[in-house]
Amino acid sequence: MKRTETSELTNTAVPRRDAGVDGRKPHRGLAWIGAGALLLPLPLALSNAYSQFVVNVILINIILAVGLNIVKGFAGQVTVGHMALAAVGAYASAVFSTKLGLSFWAALPAAMLLAGLAGAMVGVPSFRLEGAYLALATLGLAESVRIVISGTDWLGAAIGYEGIPPPTIGGFVFASHRSYYYIAMPLAMLGLYVSFSILSSDVGRAFKAVREDPLAAAASGVNVRKYKLIAFVLSALYAGCAGSLQAHMAPGFLHPNSYTITEMVTLLLMVVLGGIGHIWGGVIGAIIVTLIDDLTRDYYQYRMVMFGSVIVLTVMFLPRGLGGLIDDVLVRRRFRAIRARSLELAQAADREKS
Amino acid sequence: MRQYGNRASLARVLVVAVAAGLAASPARAQDGVIRIGITLRMVVENGLKYGQLAKEQLEQVNAAGGINGKKVEVILLDDECKPDKGIANVNRFIHQHKVHLVLGSTCSSVSLPMVDVTAKEEVPQIVPHSTNANITKKGSAWVFRTSVSERFYAAIHAKYLSEHAGKKVAYLYTTDGAAIGFAKDYMAFMRKTYQIEPLYEAQMQETDLDFRSHLLKIKSLNPEVLAIGGQLDAIARITQQALEVGIASRVRRVAASAASNAPVPELAGDAVVGLIFAAAFSCKDERPVAQQFVKMVQQTYKVRCPDHDFSQAYETAQLVKLALQTAKLELTEASLKADRAAIRDALANIKNYSGLASGPISFCADPTPQCRDGNRTGILVEYTKGGKDYDMNVLARVGFDADFGL
Repeated sequence: MKRTETSELTNTAVPRRDAGVDGRKPHRGLAWIGAGALLLPLPLALSNAYSQFVVNVILINIILAVGLNIVKGFAGQVTVGHMALAAVGAYASAVFSTKLGLSFWAALPAAMLLAGLAGAMVGVPSFRLEGAYLALATLGLAESVRIVISGTDWLGAAIGYEGIPPPTIGGFVFASHRSYYYIAMPLAMLGLYVSFSILSSDVGRAFKAVREDPLAAAASGVNVRKYKLIAFVLSALYAGCAGSLQAHMAPGFLHPNSYTITEMVTLLLMVVLGGIGHIWGGVIGAIIVTLIDDLTRDYYQYRMVMFGSVIVLTVMFLPRGLGGLIDDVLVRRRFRAIRARSLELAQAADREKS
Repeated sequence: MRQYGNRASLARVLVVAVAAGLAASPARAQDGVIRIGITLRMVVENGLKYGQLAKEQLEQVNAAGGINGKKVEVILLDDECKPDKGIANVNRFIHQHKVHLVLGSTCSSVSLPMVDVTAKEEVPQIVPHSTNANITKKGSAWVFRTSVSERFYAAIHAKYLSEHAGKKVAYLYTTDGAAIGFAKDYMAFMRKTYQIEPLYEAQMQETDLDFRSHLLKIKSLNPEVLAIGGQLDAIARITQQALEVGIASRVRRVAASAASNAPVPELAGDAVVGLIFAAAFSCKDERPVAQQFVKMVQQTYKVRCPDHDFSQAYETAQLVKLALQTAKLELTEASLKADRAAIRDALANIKNYSGLASGPISFCADPTPQCRDGNRTGILVEYTKGGKDYDMNVLARVGFDADFGL
């Protein structure tokens, strides 16, 4: 069957732009595999190992931002506890690999599951709380996690947890920044693919219904509690994955100071700058904020002023973030294309009549 | 439409700024220049000045033609006492700036992972402020320390107080690394030497403001010593609140080395009188070299009584200059690895350096704490006056064997 869509202006059937020669749409996963393949040689283009280190940090931040977008952007739940879930994933992965002797490949999913469980616990208050109240509840959890770690000797307390081994395959150790890229990049790509899949699924539509109006969603048969919980758990799985990647990246050191409210605000900035609810926006936000954080390090006296200025300018001029801006551009372009094609069809119809 | 245009312009500005930032990464390091990376915690009282002091001391040589005719270039970054920032800074120094030596950091939690990075990349690192004993226990051949290790500090005040005040000690400390180290080492000393358990022990959060409930319990237990671990604001608060709840002045107060920072006596006022702490340096040191240094800091950095973080930053810079004078450096891109090894060996050859530290500083080649904890002399200081014009006395000066506390 040939894929078609209806022109908004002329109400006539036109072929879909994404349809193939035979009208079939190629599987979306192929495009992602292609994109991943294109990114494989990126380390060769980077000038030094520090740039590679920054790229790895960006990839981890992308996983964090995309995960936060699920609960905040898709499902509309205000949470400031995402970094605490990353801490749960990071410390769980560290403990699994150093004290239980698990390899990274077993510690990563185990840490994600534990973070998912913690995410479910964070999600329960969302049944009854909304907005600022939910933010306060999740903030309480975030601080509790950090304080518990700070006071727990076997988690390294305030000195830090060290000696976390890098991932290995056979005899190959992913100890260098360049080799670690080949672990972080595929996981980030997989995270993005899953996020897009969620957004276009029934679950994603239920999330959006809950975000727009929980009462209307419930009246339409959406189990609001269930989908809120799913959003928190999915988001926590991403946080756990990012945390595990942080833990095993050289030099394999964790400290509770890396999971404070400052880090949470920085993560929120990534999502807000990119555009809440926009997956690509979160990616762009993670890239820009990580680079700004890195590039302003030379100007340490003015760093926080510059960082704050970006937040203020974004809120003032890009309230929907870069994702919103991209949306505007795409909508305008699509509108122009539809109008042009409709005019062409109308002119062709006139010619036939005459 | 206009609004859309403005937003598009802003987005373009953002993209251009990021691209320009990437393009403006530091120019390729020039051959013939000695490059040093400094990372310290600079977001606290006087933190910025510690960094500036170390940088200016190192770059001072350029005015006189450099070291053996070689210019010194210093890159100074702030790590905010956060390990992830410290790791990023040291990676940047090594891979982007191609430094010959790394100087840092202030917090032990930052210096510890830095040791792993510098050991792996084979870059000499000299630690000016951190006290955690594990820094030099990791077996890195590339790390040196000019600050006094906590394995020495604990013994200084523990021995003095056991003999002069008593052995019934109540411990109140916050969750920062230095505070925990201070309290745990004191407890370990008392257990090992006298088989005495703590009279009371409580750990508080760094952000806690009210310690009165703990202090009232401590008062009821009638201790002989109150041990206070924390950063400067916590020490000042606990000291003041101990007086408010009525803990008698005969109960000796002892605090972690952060008590040497000026805000403690300024914030605590007269409650600080009698508070003792172990440190590496006191501005009351009467030696000419010390008074000359105090005068320089007063004039240049407008600090009336420089604490031991000033002296250790200065001392570290002097030791680095000394090592650079003796190291045979080629300073080409090809010789980077050999130059780093030469600087490490030159540092290891420093013996009995006499400067601001209360005793000589010596290093040696073995990657052990005995060789790499260069400063093994601490002093015990007591505040005699609080407020803006605070004053202090040096009670004791104690030197240790290299093996002590291991």
